[in-house]
Amino acid sequence: MINDDPGARDLVAIALRSFREAILPVVPADQRFTALMIANALGTAERELAAGTGAEPALAAAVGDLLGETGDLPVLLPRLCAAIDSGRFDAPDRQSALRAVLKDITLARLAVSNPKRLSVEQREPGR
Amino acid sequence: MSGGGKAALDPDRKAALESWLTGQAGARSVTVIDEGRLSGGAISLNLAVTLEIDGGPLSGSHPCVLRTGSASGVSASLGKAEEAAVLRAVFAAGATVPEPLFIGADPAMLGAPFYIMRRATGVAAGFRIVKSEEPRRELARELGRQLGLIHRVRPGVAGLEFLARPEPTAALQAVGDFRRWAGRYAASDPVLAYGLRWLERNAPPPGDLVLCHRDYRTGNYMVDGDRLTAIIDWEFAGWSDPMEDLGWFCAACWRFGRNDREAGGIADRADLYAGYEETAGRRVDPAAVAYWEAAACMRWAVIAIQQADRHISGTEPSLELALTGRMLPEIEMDLLRHLDAVEAAP
Repeated sequence: MINDDPGARDLVAIALRSFREAILPVVPADQRFTALMIANALGTAERELAAGTGAEPALAAAVGDLLGETGDLPVLLPRLCAAIDSGRFDAPDRQSALRAVLKDITLARLAVSNPKRLSVEQREPGR
Repeated sequence: MSGGGKAALDPDRKAALESWLTGQAGARSVTVIDEGRLSGGAISLNLAVTLEIDGGPLSGSHPCVLRTGSASGVSASLGKAEEAAVLRAVFAAGATVPEPLFIGADPAMLGAPFYIMRRATGVAAGFRIVKSEEPRRELARELGRQLGLIHRVRPGVAGLEFLARPEPTAALQAVGDFRRWAGRYAASDPVLAYGLRWLERNAPPPGDLVLCHRDYRTGNYMVDGDRLTAIIDWEFAGWSDPMEDLGWFCAACWRFGRNDREAGGIADRADLYAGYEETAGRRVDPAAVAYWEAAACMRWAVIAIQQADRHISGTEPSLELALTGRMLPEIEMDLLRHLDAVEAAP
């Protein structure tokens, strides 16, 4: 498949901007919830396309350290699940090391799905 | 709740409903005034109706809600006839719930089983309930008292034979359900895998079995001014550990941004717990509540997965359901923060 320019990320971004500037202000009250959901969905899609797999190498290294293995994140995550299931992270110190990495993984996902919550987490990390 | 204004019942169904209600009410005639869809509920459909009943014991005008199921539900939810039976039991126990008036178990009439209950006044929306300068201590206390009343309904009560008892314990049944609902995600999402493992290893021993609401939280009760008018949304009710409902009420995911008010974003836990102990006839066990708060995060996570699946599978294409799937990271972060706190406790 040959993709023409502008690409998906650019299209979603400009569609969201136009929607926010031109449509959202004139949406009737009974359609506002749907309109806000559309903006939310486009925003998430745009951030996902922008983020790509940029966060994965660092997370893969952290997961790899926990497991004593190397590999790409999509390969390591199912292995981490299996290791958790088999009890390899039951000891309290292993659990806290595990939770630290799980939080990093979850923060990377929040950056895409909910940047507001991400900023709360970064402001009050001990919450 | 107020009506959306648009008629939601087609004329044939409305006529069938009126004729059925006339028989049920022992009336000369019943007219259903259709006031349109009410907001709320990704699983149920709520219509505002006023019943004009001529003759019989209920003769008069009754503002009501007609509640029926949507095209697809989540695994844990009760059918509408069963939900109405639960409502009957807790109404009889003296809890502040809408009185169910008519139960239509036959799906032929409206396309799905339904029931009609009295309509409560006030608002339910969580973000509005938590908006107050001062904590709503009396409201929290009253919600505690109400939960205590609900928990007085025990297995063996007439009319609730269809509710299964958890096996082998309430906690282990819950984790087993979560694991099944998580499906393939538990093998690829390590937060789910860890949460499930933690819940299995830390399950409390079996205790009392009571009727739990299982969605008892801010957003599922109605308040008119400062007065609690109704506890609503009973579709997840079942026999369980009484601490489950307290954990669900206090869980981080149901505070609507008011994390400083741990009881549902409205007040301190102490107010809720004190009200509960007034009516329940048992003490609150904070360690068990903490366990059920972790279970609450996990339950919400697997419900979000199921909601998203209704969209992904093509059963019910919906932007709202699709976006619910993308709430998973924030739910999982709540779980991880909670487990940090529990594991750090002495």
